[in-house]
Amino acid sequence: MSEVIVITSGKGGVGKTTTTANIGTGLALLGYHVVLIDTDIGLRNLDVVMGLENRIIYNLVDVVEGNCRMKQALIKDKRYPNLYLLPSAQTRDKSSVNPGQMRKLVDDLRGDFDYIILDCPAGIEQGFQNAIAGADRALVVTVPEVSAIRDADRIIGLLEAAQMQRIDLIVNRIRMDMVRRGDMMSVEDVADVLGVNIIGAVADDENIVVSTNQGEPLVDTDAVSGQAYLNICKRITGESVPMMDLDSRRGILVRISDFLKRA
Amino acid sequence: MRQILLFHKSNSGEIARNRLKLLLVSDQASICPGLIDLIKDDMIGVLSRYAEVDSSKIDLKFTKFASAGTREELPALSARIPLRQLTCKRNEECF
Repeated sequence: MSEVIVITSGKGGVGKTTTTANIGTGLALLGYHVVLIDTDIGLRNLDVVMGLENRIIYNLVDVVEGNCRMKQALIKDKRYPNLYLLPSAQTRDKSSVNPGQMRKLVDDLRGDFDYIILDCPAGIEQGFQNAIAGADRALVVTVPEVSAIRDADRIIGLLEAAQMQRIDLIVNRIRMDMVRRGDMMSVEDVADVLGVNIIGAVADDENIVVSTNQGEPLVDTDAVSGQAYLNICKRITGESVPMMDLDSRRGILVRISDFLKRA
Repeated sequence: MRQILLFHKSNSGEIARNRLKLLLVSDQASICPGLIDLIKDDMIGVLSRYAEVDSSKIDLKFTKFASAGTREELPALSARIPLRQLTCKRNEECF
């Protein structure tokens, strides 16, 4: 039984592509057959985050237009046995593909993969409509900022209108020091405002930049955020994993100082 | 006192949360956010005919109408209007 997951956010720059790369890699680490599809036609990025940019020959538009077979366009990630990438086209635009063609492309992959993960472009225009067309469920990525949460709410509304079967939220770039100070909304605040299920939260972590620089998803490392992504992957598969304590410095002095601040 | 003791807890997170709650209601109901000021002005106009209204302390906002289902809520208008004096101006005018 394969599942098609679209990773979306509305707002750009909240970490959709990083999330796609890490969740895809994490699911492959758990032993599933996974294909990542970059649906951001014209602004392809998932290939560089995955470190597979030098292996692209054909792309998504080539498959849709019949210039090549699906197998020719899929790039096998040699680091993980069951992980593939279908890159986007860089020199075309969103109108090169329509939702019907995307639905067919995704359905053609269902037989070969357990998880088909679509990296959605920012915005709510055709690129978004293409990406959600064939999806069974959606992961909405947001950060604890007013603008990103507003866009997430809009996206959730559009996904519901499109009868998306399941919508879960990932709160990215949480900074617990700021939450403690009262200067950032907590994961619970975001959940309360948006009214959807939280499938995971990822702390703001400079290791993310390092891993993107290297083109190696950090879900495979022992970084805290890597662990958070792996937990999200397990929850996607239906496993029940308790929410991680994002607060790394919970010593007795911190607790006393928190108590005094709250008093 | 708390500020003196350097135990001041900042609250911009809370401000963000409250702004979002209002914003999302008007977004979802496709209400233009400036509408609230128009309604406020009209309400002050009507109420001043009956009472002395402290217009600087009026708290008027869109909230969600509490009904079953998480995202199927309807927008509601909630108002808290402090009155300085409830003199019945209309009646006085009648005399």
